[in-house]
Amino acid sequence: MSLFRSEEMALCQLFLQSEAAYACVSELGELGLAQFRDLNPFVNAFQRKFVNEVRRCDEMERKLRYLEKEIKKDGIPMLDSGENVEAPQPREMIDLEATFEKLENELREVNQNAEALKRNYLELTELKHILRKTQVFFDEREIHDVDESLTANLIEDQYVGTQMMNLAAKQGHLGFVAGVILRERIPPFERMLWRACRGNVFLRQAEIDTPLEDPTTSDQVYKSVFIIFFQGDQLKIRVKKICEGFRATLYPCPETPNDRREMAVGVMTRIEDLNTVLSQTQDHRHRVLVAAAKSIKIWFTKVRKIKAIYHTLNLFNLDVTQKCLIAECWVPVSDLEAIHLALRRGTERSGSSVPPILNRMETREVPPTYFRLNKFTKGFQMLIDAYGVGTYREANPAPYAIITFPFLFAVMFGDFGHGLIMTLFALWMVMNEKPLIAKKSTSEIWNIFFGGRYIILLMGFFSMYTGLIYNDFFSKSLNLFGSQWFVPQKSMYIFKEKDVMLDPKNAYANSPYPIGLDPVWQVADNKINFLNAYKMKVSIIIGVCHMIFGVMMSLWNHMFFRKKINILCDFVPQIIFMTFIFFYLVLLVFHKWVAYYATGDDEGLGPHCAPSILITFINMVLFKNGEKIGECEPYMYGGQQGFQKFLVVIAVLCIPWMLAGKPYLIYKYRQLQHQQFTNVSTAGLTEESDQVQMANGAAAPSGDHEENEKMEDIVIHQAIHTIEYVLGCVSNTASYLRLWALSLAHAQLSEVLWGMVLRLGLQSGSWFGGVFLFMIFAAWACLTLAILVLMEGLSAFLHTLRLHWVEFQNKFYQGAGYPFSPFSFDTILETAQNVEE
Amino acid sequence: MKGAMFNIDNGYLEGLCRGFKTGILTQNDYLNLVQCETIEDLKLHLAGTDYGNFLANEPSPISVSTLDDKLREKVVAEFVHMRCHAVEPLSTFLDFITYSYMIDNIVLLITGALHQRPLQELLPKCHPLGSFEQMEAIHIATTPAELYNAVLVDTPLAPFFVDCISEADLDEMNVELIRNTLYKAYLEAFYDFCTQKLGGETAEVMCEILAFEADRRALIITINSFDTELTKEDRARLFPKCGKLYPDGLAALARADDYEQVRSVAEYYAEYQALFAGAGNNPEEKTLEDRFFEYEVKLNVNAFLRQFHYGVFYAYLKLKEQECRNIVWIAECVAQRHRAKIDNYIPIL
Repeated sequence: MSLFRSEEMALCQLFLQSEAAYACVSELGELGLAQFRDLNPFVNAFQRKFVNEVRRCDEMERKLRYLEKEIKKDGIPMLDSGENVEAPQPREMIDLEATFEKLENELREVNQNAEALKRNYLELTELKHILRKTQVFFDEREIHDVDESLTANLIEDQYVGTQMMNLAAKQGHLGFVAGVILRERIPPFERMLWRACRGNVFLRQAEIDTPLEDPTTSDQVYKSVFIIFFQGDQLKIRVKKICEGFRATLYPCPETPNDRREMAVGVMTRIEDLNTVLSQTQDHRHRVLVAAAKSIKIWFTKVRKIKAIYHTLNLFNLDVTQKCLIAECWVPVSDLEAIHLALRRGTERSGSSVPPILNRMETREVPPTYFRLNKFTKGFQMLIDAYGVGTYREANPAPYAIITFPFLFAVMFGDFGHGLIMTLFALWMVMNEKPLIAKKSTSEIWNIFFGGRYIILLMGFFSMYTGLIYNDFFSKSLNLFGSQWFVPQKSMYIFKEKDVMLDPKNAYANSPYPIGLDPVWQVADNKINFLNAYKMKVSIIIGVCHMIFGVMMSLWNHMFFRKKINILCDFVPQIIFMTFIFFYLVLLVFHKWVAYYATGDDEGLGPHCAPSILITFINMVLFKNGEKIGECEPYMYGGQQGFQKFLVVIAVLCIPWMLAGKPYLIYKYRQLQHQQFTNVSTAGLTEESDQVQMANGAAAPSGDHEENEKMEDIVIHQAIHTIEYVLGCVSNTASYLRLWALSLAHAQLSEVLWGMVLRLGLQSGSWFGGVFLFMIFAAWACLTLAILVLMEGLSAFLHTLRLHWVEFQNKFYQGAGYPFSPFSFDTILETAQNVEE
Repeated sequence: MKGAMFNIDNGYLEGLCRGFKTGILTQNDYLNLVQCETIEDLKLHLAGTDYGNFLANEPSPISVSTLDDKLREKVVAEFVHMRCHAVEPLSTFLDFITYSYMIDNIVLLITGALHQRPLQELLPKCHPLGSFEQMEAIHIATTPAELYNAVLVDTPLAPFFVDCISEADLDEMNVELIRNTLYKAYLEAFYDFCTQKLGGETAEVMCEILAFEADRRALIITINSFDTELTKEDRARLFPKCGKLYPDGLAALARADDYEQVRSVAEYYAEYQALFAGAGNNPEEKTLEDRFFEYEVKLNVNAFLRQFHYGVFYAYLKLKEQECRNIVWIAECVAQRHRAKIDNYIPIL
C-alpha cells in the first residue's frame, strides 16, 4: 500500500458461469483493478468466441458516429452529463440496436428527401438565374438590332458575336443552349468549345453572385451562367457533349421574351413552394437530431462498455463443458476482497446461482508493477517510469525523488526571483486544477507543463530557498538582516581609495549572517572565487551523499529479496569503497571548514595554512607525502598520512572482492548442491531436494534466471558490474560538479542580463529616463522569462533528470518491469474520447 | 553530403514513404487473411493492421467493390499527400507516375464511348490519380486527331500522343494501338527523365524497374498479338525501346510467330529465362503474368534497399497497388466461396 515498493500482485484464475461472465466482467471493468491475460494468443481476432458481439458493437458505433456527424453538422450541442452509466445487460443490446437502426434509417430518409429537395431547389435557382442573366444577353441583341451602326465603339468580340447572331438570326436558324457551370471550370470549358467547334460558336457568360449549395456535399459553390450560340445540328450535338463532359447543367430557355417572363414567374412560385417544404424537412431533421443529441454521449458510453466487455471475454478460455469461462488475471493482493465483492455483485445482477470461483495461482511469471498514485505523486512516478518501469517489488526511487529532484534542481536554479515566478505559475495551475483539466487542452507543450505542475511547484519553492541561501534575487543580494562585515574605523582612507580590503580579522562581526550568503559578497571583487570554492564543495557533498543513499537502497533491495550473497559481495565492498574514498573527502571538506579560521595563525590554523583539499586527495590516492611549506603542516590532523594509506588500501582491496566474491560463492554453492543432489538421490530422499529448490525459487523470484546462468556469464556480468561501479564512483562524483557549473552559469547569466540591459535604463536621467526604463524593463522582463526562467529552467531540469537516472539510480534500480494496465472502463472511455477529438 | 542535400528537400517525404512501406501487410497477415470466412472477418483483421478502421464507417455487409474503392482511396490519399509536399524535381517525378493512370483512364473512356456506355457509369471506374480536367469531355472525339486537338493538347500527355495522330479511326483495334503507343512514348520519356534529368541513384533504381516494365510490355504485346490482325511491323512499332531487350531482343521478338519463339528470345536474358521457366497454364504452375508480378514486386522491394533516391515513391505505389490487388483477390475468393485459388496472391516480401 505504499509508494516505496510496488503492490504485491497475484495471478488469479477465475471460473465464471457463462451467463454470469458478462455481468462479472462489467463489474470488474467499473472497478478497474484486474489485468486480464490473453489465454488464446494464437487465435485470430475473427475466430474468437464473441467476435459477433464485437462486430455488432462496431456496427452500433458506426451508426452513432453517423448520428454524431449529422448532429455536429447542424451545430446542435450534445449533452454531456458526465454521469457514469453502467454497462447495459446483454439483452439491452438488441433494444439499443433497434433504436439506432431506427434513428439511422429515419435520418437517412430525411437526408435523402432533403437532398432531393435541395437538388430540385438548386435546379430552380439556377434556372431563375439563367432566365435573369440571359435576358441581358437577349436585350443586347435587340439593342444592336436597332442601332447596328453604333456598334463600332463596342468591344470587338462582342461585335463579331452580335454580328454573327444577327447573321444567324437573319438566316433564321440560330440555335442556343443555356446552362450553369462551376465558375472555375469556365476557362478550360471555353477553350475546349473553341477547339472542338473550331471557333464556330459564341459563348457569353455571367457570374452568379450568390454561392449555391451543392446538395450532395452541402458545400457552398460559385457558379456561372453561360449561353452558347451556334449554327446547325452537328454543332449542337457537339456542344451538348462538351457540356455534359464538363458537368454543366443545361436548362431549356424559351426564345421569346414573353415565354421567358412567364417561365420566370412560374419558377419563382415553385421556388416559394419548395422553400416551405424544405424548411419543413429541415425542421423534422432538426427535431430528430435534437432528440438524439440528448442521449448520444450516454449511448456512446454504453456501446463502448459493451464492446470492451466482449473484447475482454474474447481473452478467456472456454471450459470443456462450455458451461463456464476461465480467465486469468493479475490483481493486487490487497484488493482481492474488492474483486470478490465485485464478482458477487455481478453474479447477483445476472441472477446466476453458481458463485464465481477465484483461485490464487502459484506462478513463476513476473507480475506487473503497480503503484497506487495520486495526482501529486503521479508526476514524480512518471519521471522515474520514463527511464524504466520498476522491476516487480524493487525499491522505487519516486518517493525520494519528490524531495531530491526539486532540491537538486534548485541547487542549479538558485535565484529567489526566478523561483518566485516559477512558484506562482505552478500555484496558478494547481489552484485552477479542475477548470484546467475540464478544458482538455490538446496542446502537447501545455500538457507537459500541466502534468508536471506539482513538480514545478516544488521546484519553485526549493529554488526560492536556495535563492535565499545564495542570496540571489534577480542576481541582486537582499540585505535583510544587515551585513556582518564592516569597514574598520582606522581604515577611513576608503574615501581616497577606490578599493578597500576587508580582513576578517578586523572587519567581521564574528557572528555569521543569519541565513545564506552575506550580502557584502555582492560587491566583492573575489565573489566568484569565493562562490566557486563554496559551490564546488557543496556539489561534491550533495553528490556523495546522494550516491551513498543509492547504495544503501541497494542494501534494502537485497534484504527484501533475501539475497545474502549480494549483500556480502556487492553491497559491503561497494559501500566501503564509496565511504573510504569519497565520503572521507567530504569529511575533509567539513574538517577544513571547521578547523581553520582567520585568527588561527599562531596555532598553524590560519587561512594561508589551510591545505588544498584537491591536492591532499590526489596525494592520498597516489601515496605521496605532503611537504611542509613554511611553518604550515601539510596534514590536517595527526596520523592523517597513515590513516589515509589504510583507507586507500582497504578500498582498493574491495575491487577484487567485488570482482571475484560472488562468482566464487555461486560456484561453491552449485558444487555443493550438485553433491547434495547426488547424495540425496542415492539415498532415495528426493522430496527434500525438491523442497530446497522450491524454497530457492520462492525466495528469489527474480533470481530465477540467475540460477540457470552459465558460470562464464556470471563472471563476465560481475566483471562488467565491478568495472562500472568503480569507474562510476569517480565519474559520477565528477558528474555532480554540474550542480556547481549550472548554478554558476545561471547566476552569471542573470547578472549579465541585469548589467547589460536593465542598468542601461536605470542610468539615464530626467523624464526621458523614465520612458526609457519603461521600455528597457519590458525587454529585461521578457529576456528574464524566456532565457532565465524557461530555458535555464529546462536545462537545469534535464541535468537533474540525468543526475537521478544515471548517477543515483544506477546504484540500485533495475527498471526492468512492465506496468500494470488493468481492464478499466474509465481508461477505455478516455482513450476513445481522445481518439475522437 | 549527398544525403544531406537530398534531405533538405525530400528527407521528410522519403521518411514518410518508408514509414508507409512498413505498413504493408506481412506474410503473417496474408496467412490470417486467407483463413477468413467472410468479408466481415477480413475487415476485422485489416482493422488490426496499418489500414486501421478505414472500413469502420461502411454499413455492413461490405461488398468487394467498396473494399476495393476504400483500399484505393487510402493509397491515393497517401500519394496525393506526398505529391502536395513535393518540390521540383520530385514533383515532376511524381507527376510522371500519374501519367500512366491518365493513359489508362483515356483508353477506358474511349472504349466505353465506343460501346455506347454512359459517362456516369464509366467515371467511377477511372483511377483518381489519373483524372484530369478535360477527361470527361473525351467522348466528343471520333478520330485520334480530334482527340488530340480537342482534349489532349493541354494535358501532359500531348507529347506522347504525336505518334498516334495518323490513325484513321477510333475502333477497338486502334484504341489498343493508341494505348500501347502512348505507353511506349510514356515509358521512354520517363526513362529519359530519370537518366538525364535526375541521374544518380534514382536513375540506377528506376532504370532497372522501367526497363523491366518496358520488356514486360514488349513480351506481352508479342504474345497477345498472335492470331490477331496486327502486322509484324505495327507490332514492332509498339515495343518500348528502353528495356534490356533493346535492340537485339526486340528485333527477335518482332520476328516471332508463336509462344515458343518468344520463349527462346527470353532464353538469352537471365532474368526473363527464369520467369519463363516456371510459368505455364497448368493449375499447379503460375501464369506468366503472375511471374512478372512477382519479379516486379522483387524489384520494387529492392528499391527500398538504397537511400536518397526517388525510386521509393514509385516502388511504394506499385507495391501498394499489388497489395490492393492481393486483398481484393482474397476478398473475391472469400465472397464467392471459391477457396481453391485463394493462395494465388503475390506475396510482398
